[in-house]
Amino acid sequence: MIHCSSAGADEGYEIIANPSVAEKTISKSSLRAIFGMRLHAWPDGSAIRVFVLPDDAPLHIAFSKEKLNVFPYQLRLAWDRLVFSGTGQAPDIVNSPEEMLTKVASTPGAIGYLYKSRMDDRVNVLQIK
Amino acid sequence: MCSRSSKGQGLLYRRAILLIAVPIILWSFPAPAQKLPFLSSLPPLPHNLQIHGFASQSWLMSSDKNNFFGKSSSDGGSFDFREFGLNASMRPVSRLQFSAQMISRTAGKGSPGNIRLDYGFMDYTYFSGEASQLGIRLGRMKTPLGFYNDTRDVPFTRPSILLPQSIYFDRTRKLAIAADGMHLYGEYRSDFGDLSFQGGVVRPLVRGDEAEAAVFGRQLPGHLSPEISYTGRVNYDLDGGRIRFAVSASHLNMGYVPGMVDPVHAGTIRFTPVIFSAQYNAERWSLTTEYALRHLEYNNFVAFKDMNIWGESYYFQGAYRFTPDWEGFVRYDVYLADRSDPHGTKWVAEQPAQRAGQGFSRFAKDITVGIRWNVTPEFMLRAEYHNVNGTGWLSTLDNPNRGDLSQRWDLFTILGSYRF
Repeated sequence: MIHCSSAGADEGYEIIANPSVAEKTISKSSLRAIFGMRLHAWPDGSAIRVFVLPDDAPLHIAFSKEKLNVFPYQLRLAWDRLVFSGTGQAPDIVNSPEEMLTKVASTPGAIGYLYKSRMDDRVNVLQIK
Repeated sequence: MCSRSSKGQGLLYRRAILLIAVPIILWSFPAPAQKLPFLSSLPPLPHNLQIHGFASQSWLMSSDKNNFFGKSSSDGGSFDFREFGLNASMRPVSRLQFSAQMISRTAGKGSPGNIRLDYGFMDYTYFSGEASQLGIRLGRMKTPLGFYNDTRDVPFTRPSILLPQSIYFDRTRKLAIAADGMHLYGEYRSDFGDLSFQGGVVRPLVRGDEAEAAVFGRQLPGHLSPEISYTGRVNYDLDGGRIRFAVSASHLNMGYVPGMVDPVHAGTIRFTPVIFSAQYNAERWSLTTEYALRHLEYNNFVAFKDMNIWGESYYFQGAYRFTPDWEGFVRYDVYLADRSDPHGTKWVAEQPAQRAGQGFSRFAKDITVGIRWNVTPEFMLRAEYHNVNGTGWLSTLDNPNRGDLSQRWDLFTILGSYRF
């Protein structure tokens, strides 16, 4: 797996999940569907909770482009289409890497992304298949 | 008889929608609800309730005597374009979502700003796997037409202040905005793209004077009654939406129930739009095009001749993001009321005395340029300029005297919109 490059996040980062999530790997299309707010449950049926940084956060931009292969404006438009037609919900926005860690660590079913240097053993790493 | 039974059904539908909407609205006010003693025995409120909304105000200024959304050709322009919306959604378990949105839209005489239930439905995911899902929605859903119909009243989801009017003009808006019934939806994801669909059986929302004015161009003594209709859209997204395709079609049926003394007989109206949509999204620019064929049939009204026409619309649009906060776009947009009569000549020849020199009301070609500034993530400002040849999508309510209209005209508009 290639870690982040020059695209805005200078440090390496990982996809992180709450320890309640049994998965250790995830396919790219599932990851896109999760962050596109179209896949709502883990394979065991438990609810997925999605946490993201604000649209202009360097880590959000890097994650969107490198891991999802989409641009942040596309995600924003997709979420708006869901929210304002009633066919889905928006992800929860956290305002800092610290908040990302505490929210993902404390919310069952949570998924997010975080700089490796900020991670600890309260969250699991998810690898892309 | 027919009218009574349809009213009874209408009541049933309204009750069903209330049944869905009321709990959502109650759940959206958790604090007062928890204080009420008789509600205190309810289980604790789930944390995944979401409330979002938006408010926008526009100003429009047009040339000649051509009015768009209010008296825009007056010296002071028109402020008669306002949109407010508030929605709530909750997902008590991962398979089930309740959603409802109230909207008020003021847009000239055709839309006086009354608050209405835009959508209100329950969504149950019957099957959800790693690569596919299948579900059902019951209640009032937005009609899936083209890229924009589902969220056409929400400025942040539009590419411009005014959607391309060729396809998203206000007359069809009334017929196609939303409908009550049942939708199925599904999705299949693979390395070769995501294929999704939604569609179902519905009754169009045709109650009220607005719908009547939109359909007939005036008020009549009787009323419209909805009939069983069908709607659907298939989307194909490649590479996470870098390339998007959609084909949507609806078959909307309604009848007319004449009043006590009414020269207009119990006719039927069938509206069948088919829209092909395509979009390419790069980091800085997006290209969008949509092509629509609209089959419109008016039958057995006696007071006016049967009508059976195919309208045609298309546009090409390019948007460029200079920075994440500044975006510009250009668009060429064509509307033909009757594709077999692109200049309105046949239409004039039918009644030359009344229609001489007004063939340009049967088409509109609009060149638009515009700019968007995201002042903050929640607040945006937009400005755009339209140079239009033809008056095809101008409303008869805002322009009661057809003889006043000019063929070549301009429209300038600005909009401020806040969301949360």
